[in-house]
Amino acid sequence: MSIKNPDEVIKKFLTQESSPSFFKGLKALFVRNMKIIWQYKFSLLMGFINTLVVTSLFFYISLLVPDLQMTQDNYTVDSISFIFAGVLLLEISTKILMKSMNSFTSEMKQGTFETLATLPFGLRRYFISEIAFEVLYGLILSTVYFIPIFFIFPVFRAVSISAASFFSLLLVALCTILFFFSLSLLAANFTILNKRGKEIAMVLIGIMHLLSGSLFPLQLFPKWLEHIAHASPFTFAVQAFRLCLFGQGVLSDNIIWGAVLFLILSSIVLIATFYFTFNSIYKRIRITGTIHEF
Amino acid sequence: MHANEVVSSFINLEKKSSPLSRISAIFLTRLKMAFNYKSSFLMTLVLNLVTIMMYFFFSKIKPEMQVFGINATYFEFAIIGLCLQMVVGTSLGSVSANIYNEILSGTWSSVLLHFNFLEYSIGTTLAGVLLSSVSIFLAIGLAYLTIGFYLTITSQEVMLILLLFILIILAHMAISMLFAAFTIFYQKTSNLISLLYQLTKTFSGVVFPVTLLSGFPLIVSRSLPLTYGLESIHQLLFSPTLNMDYIFVNCLIIISFIVLLGSIAYGMVFLSLKNIRKNGKVDWY
Repeated sequence: MSIKNPDEVIKKFLTQESSPSFFKGLKALFVRNMKIIWQYKFSLLMGFINTLVVTSLFFYISLLVPDLQMTQDNYTVDSISFIFAGVLLLEISTKILMKSMNSFTSEMKQGTFETLATLPFGLRRYFISEIAFEVLYGLILSTVYFIPIFFIFPVFRAVSISAASFFSLLLVALCTILFFFSLSLLAANFTILNKRGKEIAMVLIGIMHLLSGSLFPLQLFPKWLEHIAHASPFTFAVQAFRLCLFGQGVLSDNIIWGAVLFLILSSIVLIATFYFTFNSIYKRIRITGTIHEF
Repeated sequence: MHANEVVSSFINLEKKSSPLSRISAIFLTRLKMAFNYKSSFLMTLVLNLVTIMMYFFFSKIKPEMQVFGINATYFEFAIIGLCLQMVVGTSLGSVSANIYNEILSGTWSSVLLHFNFLEYSIGTTLAGVLLSSVSIFLAIGLAYLTIGFYLTITSQEVMLILLLFILIILAHMAISMLFAAFTIFYQKTSNLISLLYQLTKTFSGVVFPVTLLSGFPLIVSRSLPLTYGLESIHQLLFSPTLNMDYIFVNCLIIISFIVLLGSIAYGMVFLSLKNIRKNGKVDWY
């Protein structure tokens, strides 16, 4: 087929007739990424030590106020557990977002992004597959890393949690992961435009960390900042996560279902924005010829 | 920066033979390159400010919070550490990360042709530290405007802080050179630098005093040069009496770090360069 205008070229790359199916492409990408990870086995150990050190940082910070009791949403808990719970959710989310953004930055830096962008599989489907891989990988890594960390820092040993609260906690965690998947997808879209994937991820995480109240209760914020904080879905995620863990919160509680609903709705909005902005961003980098730039 | 300017900055070096002019060439090239990444600079600034704000609100969790052994409020204690840690992060990553970028972008062999390793290290570190310092001064300024943070220091304290600052930067530059030796040899980076940065951030007494540590974490803390630098700066700024002996001993410890790590790093870089030249791997990636 001869291509006469640029839109057809875009169409060809986006929905190539001869492209592999989504699942075949997804499988190929998973295999490729696993092979790359295997080349850097040492990084897996480094990752664990890094997680341990980050957790230690917040553990020691919480030791500055060891006797302080935090009261929030009708439960009271010691400051160490309060901070640790916030940091746990934050650390998993950070891993997902950072890994997703780092993978794009790395492809751009090494000059392989242009090749990936022109594969018949399609750039959009590559984005979805790549981030799906990073989310899954980040989740598995976090689980593996945190099991020994819970033995080193026996913070939640005194916490008893009912089955209903446990499932609500899992649901909140899953929705948080879905939210970060969607956020990564949209951030990746902008990364191809301004090439600053790592910095975008760090700023997003930094702002959400501040607004989430993972280190302190939100009541310490001035009113205007508290309102802004409540616009962040991650703030609700942290609040609901803590309520399930310390206050026997279940899905029927307003805070829990509210957080679940907010996270799902935010994810839908982010994914829709990704779909709506993708074509124009892709077109723009083609017009400006910056796809290979870093 | 225009491509021709990069080429001419290298060509002009033939006329500039002194080490100082070569360092300044590297320094200026790095600055010009950094100005091409303004969005990155702005995002780092936002991140620094957000981090400072976070510890400001944490300090309100218990306003009477005691920082063991230090006569200051928690926020005064933390902001000093946070600002220093941001600069240290830059000097820790500069040499190794820049060499990796040179390898990736294929300019490494050209750099090796015109500069020696030490000049390159000093030039890149100076540029990185200057840029991160600008970001930190802006962050402190904004912290003053938004949350009213300020410190009163004498000219003698300023001089001593400057000396400690230079020593801390040199110590971390030596560590970065050490990791650069591995980058040169293997043509890839490891996560060791970011791990060391995280260790420094956690165990040097940046956001909590090292008196909270015991056992192995305390050994880690005492193995990091920033611990001694921060202890001295905290002593200088917050102690009612100036203990010069204490600061002098800490300065000597940091100098020992510089001499020891710098010598090892230089030796290892020398061997790595010899190896890649011998095996014709300079242009490899």
